[in-house]
This record gives sequence, structure tokens and C-alpha cells, in this order.
Amino acid sequence: MVQVVFEKVSKAYGDTVAIPGLDLVIESGEFVSLLGPSGCGKSTTLRMLAGLEQPSSGSIRIGDRDVVNLAPAARDIAMVFQSYALYPHMTVAENICYPLKKRGVAKADRAIKLAEVAALLQLEPLLARKPGQLSGGQQQRVALGRALVREPSVFLLDEPLSNLDASLRAHMRAELIELHRRLGKTMVYVTHDQLEAMTMSSRIAVMRAGELQQFAPPDEIYNRPANVFVAGFIGTPAMALADGSLADGGGHLVVHVGSLAVALPFAANGVRPDAVTVGIRPEDVLVGEGPWQAQVRLVEPTGYETIVALDADGLALTARVPGSNALRVGETVAFDLRRERIHLFDKSDGRRWEPAGR
Amino acid sequence: MPDLALQRPGLSRERRDALLGLLLIAPTVLVLGAVIVYPLLSAIALSFQSVYTPTLEGHWVGLANYRELLGAGGFWAALLTTAIWTAGTLTLQILIGVAMALLLHQNILFRSLARSLVLFPYFLSTVVAVLVWRWLFNDLYGIVNHALMAAGVIDAPVNWLGAMPNAMLSIMVVGAWKFFPFVVIAVLARLQTIPEALYEAARIDGAGPISRFFDVTLPQLRDVLTIVILLRTVWDFKEFDLIYLMTGGGPVNGTRTLPLIVYQQAFGLNQMGMAAAYAVSMMLVMLVFMLAYLQRARKAAA
Ligand SMILES: Nc1ncnc2c1ncn2[C@@H]1O[C@H](COP(=O)(O)OP(=O)(O)OP(=O)(O)O)[C@@H](O)[C@H]1O
Ligand SMILES: [Mg+2]
Repeated sequence: MVQVVFEKVSKAYGDTVAIPGLDLVIESGEFVSLLGPSGCGKSTTLRMLAGLEQPSSGSIRIGDRDVVNLAPAARDIAMVFQSYALYPHMTVAENICYPLKKRGVAKADRAIKLAEVAALLQLEPLLARKPGQLSGGQQQRVALGRALVREPSVFLLDEPLSNLDASLRAHMRAELIELHRRLGKTMVYVTHDQLEAMTMSSRIAVMRAGELQQFAPPDEIYNRPANVFVAGFIGTPAMALADGSLADGGGHLVVHVGSLAVALPFAANGVRPDAVTVGIRPEDVLVGEGPWQAQVRLVEPTGYETIVALDADGLALTARVPGSNALRVGETVAFDLRRERIHLFDKSDGRRWEPAGR
Repeated sequence: MPDLALQRPGLSRERRDALLGLLLIAPTVLVLGAVIVYPLLSAIALSFQSVYTPTLEGHWVGLANYRELLGAGGFWAALLTTAIWTAGTLTLQILIGVAMALLLHQNILFRSLARSLVLFPYFLSTVVAVLVWRWLFNDLYGIVNHALMAAGVIDAPVNWLGAMPNAMLSIMVVGAWKFFPFVVIAVLARLQTIPEALYEAARIDGAGPISRFFDVTLPQLRDVLTIVILLRTVWDFKEFDLIYLMTGGGPVNGTRTLPLIVYQQAFGLNQMGMAAAYAVSMMLVMLVFMLAYLQRARKAAA
């Protein structure tokens, strides 16, 4: 059982507070992504876990050890860097074996480990080369190999795929998922690419300005965002967010947003916030038929589907329409909404608000 | 091709480009010829003559100068002295320079001030530096002897510049003091380009400070050190003013390096032809060294 626990961890650089106070529990064997916009403190969090930065306060535990005062090498972690950080003058084999050598592992044992890792990552033909003679994807695999060879209990990865091109990234994503499945080790993965986070993680920690916004499995992050920030950050194209209010329409909850009055399939009993932020995902806007009219503002065909920007009397919506179709800019279309899937957030604090019965 | 049809027949585009190229490099070739090739050839020509310096009149003597230079043994002894001086002072320069660069790369207090101060010896005029150092080394009232005696390292004043091997050691130290900033600048510039992530990876991989120096820093410094050693070898090999002013080549001929002989022959003994023969021989030695070095560098890169 190697749990990773952040307890009231804070980090300040001089006067800048990067992390005001972080509580996070990562279970053994989990693949957790730290996701958030640039500068939100993902790398800082990971580097504190690695021991490359010292937290200003709080405690970090790996397994049952408090590691705050342990050197990086003593923490039973391995890290893969965005720049790979391979030793340029060493061959692939020497790079992979370096952590073993520094730990005093005998030469014969090193060779055995090297062979295992090389086979796992298909690095055998490259072992005698120097990093400069490898492609980005190959360097990436060597960096992974150097992390794997020690069999640490926690793997830390800081945007390891961001220097690769799109197709190689998709390929490496699949390889990483497979690797995690095979090793069953705890992995903490920093990314600002939500596709990576959504596809690979067992849970995603969404961060903003050093604060944890939501820590949940991908489908929950997507379907039940905890606040307005997560709602707007996750999903491409982004969820439409607009101010609205709630009312009781003869027992049913009615949300007024723009000039629309949308009756929701939920009862209007219980307390409800006065003002709300209404969130509508593009796939929940159904273009073609429905009680409302909107003007087409922009049509973006992607082949598989078409992204349509709509203006419903001042309310900006985005819709996903399957296939490529004949919608034209300026045209007026009818639309409906998947009412049961409309997201509601309390305007006073931005938190998700659930109507009774959902 | 209306464009080509306008050209004079027989002058193809390639020929025209070649002519243009020649025209463009002509100024460089002329300047290099005037300031390098011509003096070099004159020196070689001089070395085959016996020339009286004040009048610059002389006659052809063929290889006589070279025969005398090699035969009298003066050349080989001076070459050895020069090699010892070069190796000694260069080693000190590299050790002090690299150590200082590592220190200045750290987040020490007053780092930018220290970085400017360290350049001071390099910018100080050699004459001034030598005057100061001769005073420091003075056997009667020099601070070096005073400090060493106070610390109990020696119990009588040491004659630093008037006896061997002290004189050689002294000029090596002064040379190192004067020229280590060059090493600092080059190495510091390179240190700043080593990615921090390499050190972080090494820390995670379990490398301590010493391992990190030998496994990360030093390999990255190899190229810059190669260049620095190459340049400084050439410069130290032909160093004149520092040694001449410190010891004048003495005691006896203890620190008389090849450049000092060239000077003595030319202006002390008024033997310009002989001086030229020494200078040309010196150049050949450096040439052999350079070629061997370049060869090795090329092999290492491949
Ligand atoms: N060494 C430092 N000195 C001062 N401030 C720093 C330092 N390192 C990071 N910060 C600040 O801490 C905050 C978090 O930085 P961090 O590198 O963790 O962001 P990130 O989420 O990894 O961003 P990115 O996606 O751009 O890598 C930023 O506001 C950054 O400016
Ligand atoms: Mg980062």
C-alpha cells in the first residue's frame, strides 16, 4: 500500500504564493492527473512530491513515511521530465542503468534489469546510441526506462508528452495506459492537455491558482463539474455559461436564461439559489427542431461533426451537429436542449447546485 | 531564356558567379595577405640570413642559423623550459578557473559583484601586475615571505625570484593569477547553459554533489575546456612580457622561454636572422601541436 498524501501543503516563492494549501490523497496504484491552466501550480506540486522543491509548510507522505525532509533519491520515486533530461554523453544503456549504478547495484544485476526494461519499452536496437541520435519519441521511452528500471513505488511525470507531435502523442498515451495497467504502480501525471487527463487517469485533480478545484474520476469531472471553473475548463468546445435565475413553474423547476424559460424535469421544492450560472454543453444543444430559435453565427466543420455557434436572442450557445451539414451563417434554426443535463451553479460562490431529484 | 541571351557569349552564369565570388573575397584575401602571409614569409626569409638588427643589412647563410640553434642546445633547453612553464601555468589556470566558475555559478552573496571582480587580473596591465607581484615576492620585505613565516610554514625568507625552481613556480603562479579569468568567463558561460533538469534528474537518480559534477557538469564542459586549453596553450607558449618583466629569463637561464630568446637574439645580440630562426622553429612546434590536437578533436567528435 503506497498512498501519497498531501496535508495542508503550501508553497511560496518569496512573496508569490504558488500553492496556498493543498490537501490531496492519492490511493495506491492510481493514475492521477494534475490538470489546470498554465501557472496553476501543477509542476510545483509534483516537484514538492519529488523533493526538488521544499514546501513552505505542511506534510507530504509516501506510504507511511513523511518525506518532506528526505532527499529525492530516498523517496522511492522516479520522475520523467518534459525535456526528458537524458544525460547527453551517455548511451541509452548507460542512461537507463545510471540510477542503479548510483545505488550500488552490481554490474550483472544491472544488465539483467536493463534487458527487462529494454524489452518492455522496445529499446533493444537503440541501447548503444546517444540521446542526440534518437527521435523525440525514442528519447521519451528512454526517459521512461530510466524511471522504470528502479521499480519505484511512485512515478512522477511532468508533461512528458508535450514535446511530441500529435500522432506520436496519441501512441505514447496508449503505451502509458498499458504500462500503468501492467505495472500497477501509482502514477502522478502533470498535464495541461485535458484529452491526456481524460483518457489516462483514474482520477483527475483540477487545479487553479494553486487551489484544488475538483478531484474525481474523468466522467464525473465531465458530467458533474464541481464549480464554474471546472465546467468551463473541461470540454472542447467549452460549455456555454450564462447568468440565469430559477423559478417555480407550477411545481417544476424553471430556469430563465437569456430570453429562454426552460422547464426542467425536476421538482421545485427545497431551497434554491437566487441567481445561478447556467451551463450547457455543446452536445446538449439539439439543432433542427424545438421550441426556440437561434441565429447561426459560425460554422466549423471538423469532418466527423460540425461545431455551430448560435445566438439565441443574445444568449451565446455552441452546438455539436453530427457530420458535415448545410447550415449557413446568418440562417435561423430551431433548437431544443437536453433539459435534464443542464448544469446549474450558485452564482454567489460558483459551486455546483443540484436540483432535488437529480 | 531572354535573361541569358543578353549575356556575352562564352561567359556562362557559373563563370560569372565565380568571378563575383572572387571579387567579394578579394578584400579579405588582400588584408590577410598584407598582415599575415607577407610578415610570415619575410620571417622565414630572414631566418635564412645573417642580419644585423640596427641596419637590417645582411646576407644569405642558408641553414646555418638553424644548424647553430639546434646544435648549440639552446633551443631544446628553452623548448623544455617553455613546455614546463606552459603546462604548469595552464594546469593552475584551468583548476583555479573551473573552481572559481563553479563557485560563481552558485547563488552566493554578492554574486554579480564577485563576477565582475574576478575579471580584474585579466584587465590589469601586465606591467602593473608584475610590479605588484614582484613586490609581494620580494625576499626582504615581500608579504608572501612575511605571511609564510608568520604561519610557521618557513623559518627563513625564501628567494622567490632569484633561485630555481622557485622562480619558475612564481611565474607559473602569477601567470595563473593573470589568466584564470579567461577560463572563468568561458566555463561560466557554458555552465549557465546546462539544463537544470539534468541536475534534478541526477538527484532523483541518487547522484550526490561529486557524482553530479563528474557525471553531469564535467562532460558538458568538455568541449569548452578543449577550446580553452587549445587557445591558452598557444597564448602561454608565446607569452613574453610577463616572464620578461618578472625574471628576465633568470636566474641564469632558468625561466628563459623561447619568446625570450627571440627577443634576446633580435635586440640584445642584434642577430635578427637568428631571432627569426627561433621564431620560425617556435611556430613549427606550435603547428605540430595544433595539428595533433585538431586531429584528436576530430576523432573524438566522430
Ligand atoms: N522558482 C520560482 N520562483 C518564483 N515563482 C515561481 C517559481 N516556480 C514557479 N513559480 C510560480 O509558481 C506558480 C506555479 O508554477 P508551476 O510551474 O507549478 O505552474 P504549472 O502549473 O506547472 O504551469 P505550466 O503548465 O506552465 O507548467 C506560477 O505562478 C509560477 O510563476
Ligand atoms: Mg509545469
